Amino acid sequence: MLAPRFNTRESERARAEPLELSLYSRDAGLANGQAGAVCFPRDASDVAFAVATCKKLGVPFVARGSGTGLAGGATPLDDALVIVTTQMNRVISIDAASRTAWVEPGLLNLDLTRAAQPYGLHYAPDPSSQQACSIGGNVATNAGGPHCLSSGSTTAHVLAVEAVLPNGEVAMLGSTAPDQPGFDLRGIFVGSEGMLGIATKVLVKLVPNPPQIQTMLLDFMSIDEAAATVSAIIAAGIMPAALEMMDSRITAAVEDFVGAGYPRDAAAVLLVEVDGLSGGVDHQASLITEIGRAHGAREVRLARSESERQLLWKGRKSAFGAIARIAPDYYLHDAVVPRSKLVGVLRTIYEIADSHDLTMMNVFHAGDGNLHPLIVFDRRVIGVWERVQAAGTEILERCLAAGGVLSGEHGIGLEKRAMMAQFFSEADLELQARVADALDPHGLANPGKVLPAGFRCGEVGINRTLPEGTWI
Amino acid sequence: MKSGPLGLDPELLNACVSCGLCLPHCPTFRVTGLEIASPRGRIAAMNAVETGMAPLKRPFIDAMAECVQCLGCETACPSGVRFGRLMEDSRATIAHRSGLRALLSRAFGAIAYRRLLPNQHVLHLLSWVLLVAQRMRVMPKRFRSSVPRLTRHRLRRTLNVTVGGNPDVWLFTGCVMDAWLQKTHVATAAALRSTGVRIARPDSRAGCCGALAAHAGRRDIARSLAKSVVAAMPGAAPIIVNSAGCGAALKDYGHLLGDADAERFAARVFDISEWLVAQTASPLATEARTSIVIQDPCHLRNVQRTHDSVRLLLGGAFALLETNDDGMCCGAGGGYAANQPDLSTKITKRKAKALRDAGASTDVAVCSSNPGCTFALEAAGFKVVHPAELYADCIAPDRGEPRNG
Repeated sequence: MLAPRFNTRESERARAEPLELSLYSRDAGLANGQAGAVCFPRDASDVAFAVATCKKLGVPFVARGSGTGLAGGATPLDDALVIVTTQMNRVISIDAASRTAWVEPGLLNLDLTRAAQPYGLHYAPDPSSQQACSIGGNVATNAGGPHCLSSGSTTAHVLAVEAVLPNGEVAMLGSTAPDQPGFDLRGIFVGSEGMLGIATKVLVKLVPNPPQIQTMLLDFMSIDEAAATVSAIIAAGIMPAALEMMDSRITAAVEDFVGAGYPRDAAAVLLVEVDGLSGGVDHQASLITEIGRAHGAREVRLARSESERQLLWKGRKSAFGAIARIAPDYYLHDAVVPRSKLVGVLRTIYEIADSHDLTMMNVFHAGDGNLHPLIVFDRRVIGVWERVQAAGTEILERCLAAGGVLSGEHGIGLEKRAMMAQFFSEADLELQARVADALDPHGLANPGKVLPAGFRCGEVGINRTLPEGTWI
Repeated sequence: MKSGPLGLDPELLNACVSCGLCLPHCPTFRVTGLEIASPRGRIAAMNAVETGMAPLKRPFIDAMAECVQCLGCETACPSGVRFGRLMEDSRATIAHRSGLRALLSRAFGAIAYRRLLPNQHVLHLLSWVLLVAQRMRVMPKRFRSSVPRLTRHRLRRTLNVTVGGNPDVWLFTGCVMDAWLQKTHVATAAALRSTGVRIARPDSRAGCCGALAAHAGRRDIARSLAKSVVAAMPGAAPIIVNSAGCGAALKDYGHLLGDADAERFAARVFDISEWLVAQTASPLATEARTSIVIQDPCHLRNVQRTHDSVRLLLGGAFALLETNDDGMCCGAGGGYAANQPDLSTKITKRKAKALRDAGASTDVAVCSSNPGCTFALEAAGFKVVHPAELYADCIAPDRGEPRNG
């Protein structure tokens, strides 16, 4: 019923063949859903057509970029239409003088930085998946990344968004002006995980490449020492461009892939980057070296060339993928705790994993306390999935108890929807639901995500199932 | 866990964690944006067939046929997924299924891979037929980027190297390279002789390495060709290959034939640039630094992983220009250009833009060491040279007819 409507426009822009649909049933997270049809718009009018068609038919829709999300945000529920933005991947224009660029949502994060290279500029938010993830997805999840420590996450780099709203209309949120009069709807849209509409054009800020960069690798014989170093660096008034931590298991797996000379026998390593003017960079690097040594750093290695630096980062950014060298499945968490609590929380996380007889690894943005506890397992082992889930919940609860938050950058999606009530009050959640209801009264835009069940008014219609074969 | 209808190793299949880091490195995903045209999507599709969730017929079969097998995904994969093995295994099952379509495709494969490519005389004869077809402008469109512009000059046999015997090193001559890129063989022979070794080429038993057959899922044919190649180059002398695709295939004989002899044979195989870099103490150094754009053939970059040796070999004498596309495939892919002309053309267009952006022009040549890439890029309007040709021109600027080895 849906696919034929697209076929009238152009057949290759919509698919409903079962095998192909099954490939859109999940993103890089663990939750599986079921797509009813999938379409590939080329511009805003295609997206508006798809959304208007969904509205007319009362069918839910989900936007999807590269499908690298880890919280199930792009997982379609209830035979939703999956609107894939991969064919909307152009850099529309770059304004080097005002350091901005208009881009389409399917553009890959790293391709944006590549396009800005000739102007000596780059796009600052750099999620670990930056080579593969799209700007649209970055906007939807308010994505972070190692270098967001000093430069802020996606919302600090998005000036305006052209979006197709859930009613099928195209609206401009934000503008080129530094302080747009009226409500900051752009601010509400960024991080809304596809529940307030679909971005069709994004105006991003570009930042100048720093004149000097120094990347450092500090290795420690205990995780406590590494965690304490993180706190001490920030406490000393230094704001590194990036401050990352990897534990021994992750470091070994990564080293197998990149061969960057990561020490396999260290209990933890810190990857620290400082940038700016050369005098300042050297000064900061020597301060960090001192602090590291004072906290028991065994070795402090400075990257001597750009290629060495790139290799170290390639290792860090491949960490999640590289763990399949240890076990075929992983459950990657995303939580934030105050930096001062890092030592205690990390210790607890390992204890929780031990108590469930699970293998725990940690690789994370230590500088802003954004933890990524990673449980590796083999789902073919009977009973293991239940233990993984139980341990995951305990870890998040422990992080919240330490004054942390549910998610640092991956989003809530399907994964942490149920835990939202532990973090927000009922009034908080109702307010969020009212915003969503105002823009999406029928609850068709990525329903069943972020907000726990029972808060949206359109929810009555969501969980109905359509007769089999409706779409094909 | 047991394997299903495709007979894939469940451990290999399970190594994919669906992170998606392969997507930007896959040429077909880049030009289509379709999950089913991506490595992650193809693995998920294999999984669906293996677990009985999807039938072993179209569109699965089409999806497998659309892969160029460039293996950019393997290089990008942090989990070390052996995508090439999975794809070859899937294609082997597809090639040997029952039905008329499969039967016809097997018959075609048997003729092309077993009778045509390995037989120099037949190939030479066919080359003249193609030359005539090109002149009469009746060349089928789908072969236009996989067959170079043939001329009498191009088809002249100018390589003067002893056949067989007991040389210091073997020069593997192959099928298409020998028929259409004699100038590369002549340059390779000159470069090898400059290191003071006696060289020989194998006899007609080593007519084809079997790579195209293996990629098409015809391991049976690939194995018999491989056995014949092994028999043609006995002894312990290194085997030098100047085609990236053939080199990758020869280096994989240990896996293909699965015995210790084949393993030992595979260990003797070197790409020409890899070998020259290891032999020559001082790299080239000249005053006039001509610019060239480096194109990494996928099977040099993603399979042999020796693409840096081209840079080491030529860096002293040439200004090397790099593309900004992570060494993306050019779309030629052996028989791919003929089998999937539409996708191949789109991929080649993308590559052509990257090469032009890097500086390739009518004056600045592209340096490639694989025949498929060479023909596709020539068809796209580029001047293409082999690293061995550049090297030979440097060491002997006025090299004439080579001596007998």
